[in-house]
Amino acid sequence: MTSNQARILEAMGEALKAALPELENVDYDAALTGDIGLDSVQIMDLMMEIEDRLDISIPIELLAETHTLNELAERLVPLVNPK
Amino acid sequence: MSLFDKFSELVAARAGLGQQKVAPVATPIENVFSASEGQINGQRIILAGTNNYLGLTFNPDVLQAAHEALDQFGSGTTGSRMANGSYHAHQMLERELAEAWGWASAMVFSTGYQANLASISALAGKDDYLLLDSDSHASIYDGAKLGNAQTLVFKHNDPENLDRRLNRLGEDAKRALIVVEGLYSMLGDQPPLEEFIEIKRKHGAWLLLDEAHSFGVFGEHGLGVAEDRTCLDGIDFVVGTFSKSLAGIGGFCVSPHAELEMLRLAARPYIFTASPSPSVIAATRAALRQVVNGQALRESLWRNIHQLYDALNAMGYRLGSDQPGPVAAIILPDRESALAHWNGLLGAGVYANLMIPPATPKGLNLLRISLSAAHTPEQIEQMINAFGRLRAAA
Repeated sequence: MTSNQARILEAMGEALKAALPELENVDYDAALTGDIGLDSVQIMDLMMEIEDRLDISIPIELLAETHTLNELAERLVPLVNPK
Repeated sequence: MSLFDKFSELVAARAGLGQQKVAPVATPIENVFSASEGQINGQRIILAGTNNYLGLTFNPDVLQAAHEALDQFGSGTTGSRMANGSYHAHQMLERELAEAWGWASAMVFSTGYQANLASISALAGKDDYLLLDSDSHASIYDGAKLGNAQTLVFKHNDPENLDRRLNRLGEDAKRALIVVEGLYSMLGDQPPLEEFIEIKRKHGAWLLLDEAHSFGVFGEHGLGVAEDRTCLDGIDFVVGTFSKSLAGIGGFCVSPHAELEMLRLAARPYIFTASPSPSVIAATRAALRQVVNGQALRESLWRNIHQLYDALNAMGYRLGSDQPGPVAAIILPDRESALAHWNGLLGAGVYANLMIPPATPKGLNLLRISLSAAHTPEQIEQMINAFGRLRAAA
């Protein structure tokens, strides 16, 4: 795992706690809508938390092709500059 | 495996409302007697969920204009504005809308939905950015989807959150279109418009304000929240609808930028659809005159707003907004109590809107009242009494 990937996963964990505190032990390979049962508003809240933690802009167009948190993490790699 | 499988979740959500005597979603309205009264399930009902803020649907001038245009110009234009669908009256309505704001240009669309679809998808193209409030109406999100801009979302009514996103764009913020609403239809809350304008100016971005629910209601001439807060000079585009205060169907975009006219050549929801029928345009022109000169109507509406908000607050109901407005959203703890309130109100002769997730922000269960200048003090009293009985029974 690169340092960028680690940063992304850490930010996603923090964002999950902030945006969706009711969720516990989230499976990063589970489908966001189908398995975890998030609606579009919850997914949007999560995205905004991740954006601010990583200081990046995530276009919502990217969400249309993202089904799991691990998929999302992969797609965020090009958006994050190494620190 | 069927093409229809994907709808099963929606069907299950609909079924979750159970078998009700009267359907709370797509409620059949058997008759309409006036702007404030109709008939549902054989019962005479006060219409308190119809967005008919100024009650102009039965205004004699509006009806006469529609009748005359129907007789003179026929039932439809049968064509696009780009082909045979630009009558003199369409152009006059656009001129009258522009004049109402004192701005350079206005465009008319066949629905309010298409007004957002067309304006947003055409204004923000490839290499541009859209910054949407997270509580935006579906037509705004769909406009973003139809266009080719990169779409970013900021936290609802949070200027600092918007500022951070524009900061990240740097110089590109000059090609960013911010979209906010004058009144959010689910909770009835309003934006911190002055702060959004300040941030827009700081970054050299553009601002589109959707006044669908605020047009007709706010401001000396009913132009909306931007007029009311004397900050029209900070707005680049106002989008609105004919299907609320203007009591018809259609939509518009009005702008101080004369270049708005270029959208006629590029906005697909404007080009590839038939233009509004002559009777709709004539009715809207008559309604627009009523709105702009509608200070007395707004006085009646605001009297009703304060009467209902004061009573609901006194009863201890939790409302979607602290600022009174034409939408009173009552937040209920769960779907069952929202449904019980909806049925209770209907039983007491009041039709309201039941709003449940996923259509609502933050998973809220809402009962939504839209007030009208046409409601009499007695009708508002009847609504309050119905809420009082439901509160006592809870």
